[in-house]
Amino acid sequence: MSNMNTDNNTASAAAGIDLTQFYQVFFEEAAENLDSMEQQLLNIDITSASDEDLNSIFRCAHSVKGGAATFGFTDVAELTHQMETLLDKLRRRELQATVAMVDVLLQADDALRAQLARHQGAGGDPVDTTNLLASIRAMQGGGVAKVAVAATTVAPATVAVESRAPAELISDLGTSPNGDSKPAALRVLELRVGPLNDVKDADNLVDLFGEIVDLGSIEPLDAGQASDGIRRFKIVTTSCDSELMDLFTFHVAREQVKLLEMTAGFGFHDGAPGAPAPSEPEPTYGFFDDAPGAPGTAHAAAGKPAGSTHPADAATAATATTASNPTLSASAPASAEAKGAAPAAKAAAPIESATLRVSIEKVDQLIHLVGELVITQAMLAQNSQKLDPALYQQLAAGMADLERNTRDLQESVMSIRMIPMSMVFSRFPRMLRDLAAKLSKQVNFVTVGDATELDKGLVEKITDPLTHLVRNSCDHGIETPAERVAKGKSETGTLTLSASHQGGTIVIEVRDDGKGLSRDKLLSKARERGIDAPDSMSDTDVWSLIFAPGFSTADVVTDVSGRGVGMDVVKKNITALGGTVEIDSAEGYGMSVKVRLPLTLAIMDGMSVAVGDECYILPLASVVESFQVQPGLIKTVGGTGRVVEVRSEFMPVIDLEEVFHVPKSDTPPATRIMVVVEADGGQVALLVDELLGQQQVVVKNLEANYRRVPDVSGATIMGDGRVALILDVSSLVRHSRH
Amino acid sequence: MNSNDAKHIAQQAASHESAHAAISQAAQSAGRAARSSTPAHGEFLTFRLGEEEYGIDILKVQEIRSYEQPTRIANAPTFIKGVVNLRGVIVPIVDLRIKLNCTSVEYTDLTVVIVLNVKGRVVGTVVDSVSDVLQLSQDAIKPAPDLSSSVDSSFITGIGCVKSGAEQRMLILMDIEALMSSEEMGLINSI
Amino acid sequence: MHTILAVDDSASMRQMVSFTLKSAGYTVVEAVDGQDALEKSVSRDFDLVITDQNMPRMDGISLTRKLRESPHFKNTPILILTTESSDEMKQSGRSAGATGWMVKPFDPTKLLEVIKKVTR
Repeated sequence: MSNMNTDNNTASAAAGIDLTQFYQVFFEEAAENLDSMEQQLLNIDITSASDEDLNSIFRCAHSVKGGAATFGFTDVAELTHQMETLLDKLRRRELQATVAMVDVLLQADDALRAQLARHQGAGGDPVDTTNLLASIRAMQGGGVAKVAVAATTVAPATVAVESRAPAELISDLGTSPNGDSKPAALRVLELRVGPLNDVKDADNLVDLFGEIVDLGSIEPLDAGQASDGIRRFKIVTTSCDSELMDLFTFHVAREQVKLLEMTAGFGFHDGAPGAPAPSEPEPTYGFFDDAPGAPGTAHAAAGKPAGSTHPADAATAATATTASNPTLSASAPASAEAKGAAPAAKAAAPIESATLRVSIEKVDQLIHLVGELVITQAMLAQNSQKLDPALYQQLAAGMADLERNTRDLQESVMSIRMIPMSMVFSRFPRMLRDLAAKLSKQVNFVTVGDATELDKGLVEKITDPLTHLVRNSCDHGIETPAERVAKGKSETGTLTLSASHQGGTIVIEVRDDGKGLSRDKLLSKARERGIDAPDSMSDTDVWSLIFAPGFSTADVVTDVSGRGVGMDVVKKNITALGGTVEIDSAEGYGMSVKVRLPLTLAIMDGMSVAVGDECYILPLASVVESFQVQPGLIKTVGGTGRVVEVRSEFMPVIDLEEVFHVPKSDTPPATRIMVVVEADGGQVALLVDELLGQQQVVVKNLEANYRRVPDVSGATIMGDGRVALILDVSSLVRHSRH
Repeated sequence: MNSNDAKHIAQQAASHESAHAAISQAAQSAGRAARSSTPAHGEFLTFRLGEEEYGIDILKVQEIRSYEQPTRIANAPTFIKGVVNLRGVIVPIVDLRIKLNCTSVEYTDLTVVIVLNVKGRVVGTVVDSVSDVLQLSQDAIKPAPDLSSSVDSSFITGIGCVKSGAEQRMLILMDIEALMSSEEMGLINSI
Repeated sequence: MHTILAVDDSASMRQMVSFTLKSAGYTVVEAVDGQDALEKSVSRDFDLVITDQNMPRMDGISLTRKLRESPHFKNTPILILTTESSDEMKQSGRSAGATGWMVKPFDPTKLLEVIKKVTR
């Protein structure tokens, strides 16, 4: 990964601490913060934002800044620092929030994502944030955006070092890296020399340093005392490391000299509890005098009853004597310690541990293994069926337990990969905001069924087609406010994205109240292209015309959509996932596109049926009922169609023997069986020879090595090791509709 | 059938199994050893389809199995017999004898399936028998003559000539990967 | 064996501090904000508390103030991590009863040195 070189890395590498191991967590954390910030910025009410709203947004920026600075991602730190400054003023009500500010902050959010992506190895050009930074700084000062001001200025020397915000320090240090010939900013470094046999050698360095004019200043950090043969000094200079190293290696070996950035600082409040004895005033840390716990202070000594100077002992001694005293939470004294255990146990589960990050490969492997387990269990079940249950009672009981356990395990594991639709929906508010602004339209975005879950694998594949559909609605569907008002509609159009489960499928709908599809336009366009489009064509078929490649009735091709590459690709993508797309439209009122996708359950409950000598599997979830049927009860309609009467309703019949050209069995059954299945809102009766049984089946992909087979959604391996085909009920139902 | 017949067939199958296993081993080690797979020269697996002997790049061969009746797939072309379970993976089985219009197509205990790994897919093909693995040098390979063979000549990469004792064997060298992934085989979605 | 309570709402920072301290042989207990830290300090004492300043629910300064109210933590060294070393910030920390302060971002090794000063 390029760009992983950071300032802090050199320092901590010297100490043997590899910061890179924390990068991944930081990147994930930063991504969450940026998402949260974006969400909040989109939802904020400029006129009446609460303190907590503003605080919350501030904290997002602040958090990213902290991590970025610590792990050395200076570009990110710099941008977030500026954002934080602006947000700080907003939350203190020193500035009034404006739409322009929100826009700029959203842009900055995008820039940060790009910067972070680069740090994670995404490649690409460095993100140019010059204008962005200038805009933000202008806004900090109460000005308007896009002021052509140069980026961060270099602070003046000496005095400024102490009180400058570290972020400014960083950006300056960032501009004068080792060996660079940029105009020098002041640098504060820690010099470590050693281990030295003769610590006086270090003093030679100090002398040498002093001999060079304008090199800077050097002073000891260790009050002249070496620890483990190592001397430490503080250097303030404008020179780069390599120059300094060249100098030092006059007297000592290169390996004995270490230069570390003193970007961090700390301080003890002299005299504060636990504070150490006041030493050299450091710019970056301090102890408060007389504070409790301050090292070597009178208070620290006084705080302990037993007279030891160890603050830790003081604390424990205090505990001993105050065991019977009230504690923080004013609970009953005597039982305070005992009670402590219980709340600790409860409190020991911080917010963070409610979730766990696991790699996708691990989850997939888990699902695969559970699938194999199911197959093995099925095989065992099949083989143990032949045994006399009376003799093998315990085995039978064990097998029943095994089946239940396997089923439970399977459900649990499958649910791991399911994530809510809100993850898919989350990208649209921002996208629509920008898009609507670009097209000068007003769009109200509504989502329904955010909690509907779908498999993570599907989420990734469905995002592109959905994005296109949403863009389409916004671009071609919803009219401009003027057009809408002229038609008697409200100025603001509504775009609804909804998700729900229906049987074994998930239905996602994109609906808008725009101008809908024009039947006439589509028909004439089709005819232009030589497609047979008679006037008698049903509406559904007319709407389906837009799936033809290159078909677009857009008058003006915008750069958003309308190049006509859209709908056919959408349909292809959905079909590839085993799903369907339905369009419904009413000219002038709006349009709805429904995407149906099978929930890719790798393991499902199946009903096995015999057709001829072959075995087929039906998804149990789509089976409504089954019954024996006398041949006479099946009536023909219109010469080719067949129907059967079910409770005074006529249902279409599909003979699986015919559909799959199954060779007739030598021993056909006397009566055949009807299995009523339901899908896509329709029911159909399938004609089979026998019901074989019900079992959990592991769904195997047929297309991995073969191809898509009509009316077949997958395959499974039965208990005897043979392959059985799993039928696509939706597709069979659609058969019957023609 | 009685248990003796069963034992006999099992024995035969077993000896075939070991032969198959040996060839499978060869295929796998060839795959491990070699780097590039130039059909020009190299190691070939030879097999019989009716009267003719063919040779294919050993690197494409994953293993050899006895024939077992696949699960039929409706509406598939006749030369696609169906699919089988290969250690948990669904694999289509093609009968090259049917595809190449061989006169006699039988399924006996000796019928063999060559499991191929081509273009990232696992596909099995039924042949009459498998012969051996041969190393062919460049001069043993002659360019394919322009005959209207049952195989579309674009898949034939050459003719291999090998002396086997007193016999002169003529091997039709085939680009099995190209054949299996061609549209006419219909194994891959055309979308 | 010294036990340190490390409080920060950022997981990456917490992990880094925790790792640094553990490598140096300390026992570390993590908390995600002031409230969490208080809950954890009900039943056990710590030899040192390091806390971030800006956190949701309860910030570092409020945590310090609350801890000082308890006899168990009257003299425990408490360090507040701040992103700036302004006098204003230092003053707030001091009046809340903090032992000291440290500026973020910091060099992990520097943190260890500072801790050594108060835990010896």
